Amino acid sequence: MNCVRAGCCTVSLWCWMVGGGCERPHPEQHAAALSLDSPAAAQALFDSNCRGCHSQGAEGAALPLMNKNYWAIATDAVVVQAISHGQGRLMPAYIDSEGGPFTAQEIALFVKGMRSAWGAGAVGRGGGVSPLIVAGDPALGAQVFAESCASCHGSQGTAGSVTDQMYLRLVSDQGLWSSVIYGRCELGMPAWDDALPNRPSGLTVAEVAHVVSWISSQRVAAHDGSATP
Amino acid sequence: MNDRPTKGCQGCGCSDASREGGAIEGQPARRGFMVKLGAGLLGVGGLLTALPIVGYIIGPATKRFTNVWVDLGAVSVFPAGQTRFATFLNPIRQPTDGDSAKTACWVRCIEAGKFQVFAINCAHLGCPVRWFEQSKLFMCPCHGGVYYQDGSRAAGPPPRGLFEYQWKVDGGKLLIDAGRLPGLEESV
Amino acid sequence: MKVLKASLGWIEERTGVVAFVAPLLFHHVPRNAKWWYVFGSATLMFFTIQLVTGVCLATVYAPSAAQAWESLNYIDNHVPMGWMLRALHGWSSNAMVVMMAIHMLQVFLHASYKYPRELNWITGVFLLLTTLALAFTGQVMRWDQDAYWGLGIGAAIADRIPLVGDEVRALLLGGPIIGGATLNRFFALHVFVLPGAAIALVGLHMVLIIKNGISEMPKPGAVVVPSMYRKEFEERMHKDGVPFVPDAAQRDMVFCGVCLIGLVALAAFYGPFGPGGMPDPTIIDTNPRPDYPFMWLFGAVSLLPPSSETAIMLIAPAVGVLILVALPFMSNSGERAPSKRPAMVLIALVTVMAIAALTWEGTTSSWSPVMNGWSSLPTPVKFVRGRTPLEMQGAVVFQFAQCRNCHSLDGLGGKRGPELDDVATRLSYDQLVRQVQQGGGNMPAYGKNLDSAQTAAVVAFLATLHPANEPDSRIPGAQLSVPTDNATAR
Ligand code: FES
Repeated sequence: MNCVRAGCCTVSLWCWMVGGGCERPHPEQHAAALSLDSPAAAQALFDSNCRGCHSQGAEGAALPLMNKNYWAIATDAVVVQAISHGQGRLMPAYIDSEGGPFTAQEIALFVKGMRSAWGAGAVGRGGGVSPLIVAGDPALGAQVFAESCASCHGSQGTAGSVTDQMYLRLVSDQGLWSSVIYGRCELGMPAWDDALPNRPSGLTVAEVAHVVSWISSQRVAAHDGSATP
Repeated sequence: MNDRPTKGCQGCGCSDASREGGAIEGQPARRGFMVKLGAGLLGVGGLLTALPIVGYIIGPATKRFTNVWVDLGAVSVFPAGQTRFATFLNPIRQPTDGDSAKTACWVRCIEAGKFQVFAINCAHLGCPVRWFEQSKLFMCPCHGGVYYQDGSRAAGPPPRGLFEYQWKVDGGKLLIDAGRLPGLEESV
Repeated sequence: MKVLKASLGWIEERTGVVAFVAPLLFHHVPRNAKWWYVFGSATLMFFTIQLVTGVCLATVYAPSAAQAWESLNYIDNHVPMGWMLRALHGWSSNAMVVMMAIHMLQVFLHASYKYPRELNWITGVFLLLTTLALAFTGQVMRWDQDAYWGLGIGAAIADRIPLVGDEVRALLLGGPIIGGATLNRFFALHVFVLPGAAIALVGLHMVLIIKNGISEMPKPGAVVVPSMYRKEFEERMHKDGVPFVPDAAQRDMVFCGVCLIGLVALAAFYGPFGPGGMPDPTIIDTNPRPDYPFMWLFGAVSLLPPSSETAIMLIAPAVGVLILVALPFMSNSGERAPSKRPAMVLIALVTVMAIAALTWEGTTSSWSPVMNGWSSLPTPVKFVRGRTPLEMQGAVVFQFAQCRNCHSLDGLGGKRGPELDDVATRLSYDQLVRQVQQGGGNMPAYGKNLDSAQTAAVVAFLATLHPANEPDSRIPGAQLSVPTDNATAR
């Protein structure tokens, strides 16, 4: 009798497998199946191509993209431009016509995806300041720097000098601009609209331009002819 | 079978049945001749059959392929001072090759009109090397071979630098002499 | 019942099949042949599964370079039970290799290859070679990126053969490139030549087993004397042996049953192997790795010193096979007990450990750069917190210049070069500059590829990599031990 029962069980199991659900239980997920502008695809692309430098929080050494200000200030066009053609001396070009791995269309979708993934976290005063550098007056900038930056970033500053010649040779003026407006809050460097020494409500848009132009004016041309940004 | 009689069988070791058959056939001497003839005919026939079969199997090793000049595109897509990825369809492909007839290479434009074209295959055991523009190095994912931008060996197990294709510029196009899989014995 | 008996008798009278099989089933085997002896049967069972599932897969698989990869995906995703068949074939192939290895190890340890079973051993060696060849050609059948570049490695090794390298390579690939002809060549080997050879060898192996009997468990002092062995063995079997069915076969059945259930479970749970990325050689974002049975070879090829690797790659396999074949001729009599053959036990132990270690090395492959390490592995928080602007730029240069592909920070990154978490305690500022610019110790020189500002920045960053309680190497003479020049190389 037991045999019969076992036989029935086996036969019905077989019928179920062969007749019904015999599809592969875990079909391989193809990354290509995800649309590039979805937050998940953008995160995956970011993780393998950007995360080495650009932080997602406190980690990473370059401009943070999860910054409260970044997605409020930077327009899609600015981000696409930076990814496509590179930025300064250390951000490579990612567009295929310049030797990079992505097409213009992929980059556009990727930026859309990043904005939908992280843009909602943008809470800063944002829009008031341009994401691209604006010319300022170095003389006025010296004043701003002395009052609100020098305690950390002066030649005797606690956080390290930004007038170090090697630093200035590596970082472009646009890079300086971005550092000032976005900051690195997680590491203690305020954004332009955070409270600063002598400026409890941060810098004004004009003061950002002045201070960046002053820092830039401290750059001395390299002796060895190496490229200045 | 074990105690087969040898007497009267001329030592040829055949069984009773065949001996009877042989007896009908004719003289022992003639039987010996038939055996020899059979062996000879089988041998010759076998050789004749084997010849095309062996030839068919070792064919690929004996057939010579000559490389062909392949068009990599306009020289303008290879900016001076840069190393770019390029692909082409192997000129000695076969109809059933599918995607595997596609071939990749690295084109380095040293200055306008001066090129180096490297095979994708690592000089160690043939894995595909990747170019890193930032550090100006080729790296191999298999056993850690590294090459400088001019293809010379920088580190790792490769016994020599990257294989290079012959190139020429013709009518504004970059051509390379391609075909066979690059190997240690040659410079492609 | 009567009808059955009559028809059986009818068949028996015309075929003699019972008369042929009965002695095989009921021949006497040693009473003490216990669980040690089940691995051979398990190997045979997995081989049978390979034959059955292989034939099934061949009904859908398209052996053409243009379609093989797609047909495998079709089997996986659209053929009813297709994925399961591929999973069974893949897992059973690995299981067959494992069972065969254990079986061989047992025979080696028990010296069952001694008189009169020398040919049992030798047919076994050829079965091993055939099985490994089946495993390799099977990997080629997958026709994905691993298969393509694996063939490339095979071709490159063949190419290193002196004088005829070119010809051997063409013979292997079926032409001057890896392409359609290559896949079809390996297909013919995988489904006709090698299985045919394996079936013939299995038959021979079985005939020899019946002819020579199953060896007894080795006992210290029970020496093999060729002139006496056969007679004494037969007497012992007659007196003390038990019939193969059911006494020994029951254990085989239990073990094979467990193996089968395990196989189905593995296949159902983990699914089929691959196929990996599509076989387009212009997709170079790939990381070719061999299947598990060859991982140890991959490890060996990677770790060999470049100067001697050609010789070792070409000669070592031949020497290995020669030693295996010659083994029963080198010692075919005397003691069989492992306790009396310590050298042999040691050899087995060292071999197993070497293969295990190389497999581990191959799996971790620390010699390979992490190709996207520079763009995917962030600088850990502890190495960016409190750094100066220049040091931060240095950390970016460190990623930018692909240092991370070979060097790890906080355990993440390439393992090819030394990890740099505390490099500043090992190298002074000047030594760091020199190492970056001139390379050495298997590190490329970055002198031409980084300018002075980039070098200054990256070294400034590296100089911060030391535990908080240890001094900064920029203070002259402050590092705990001044490394010699050699210490910069690994
Ligand atoms: S194949 Fe490139 S290092 Fe071995």
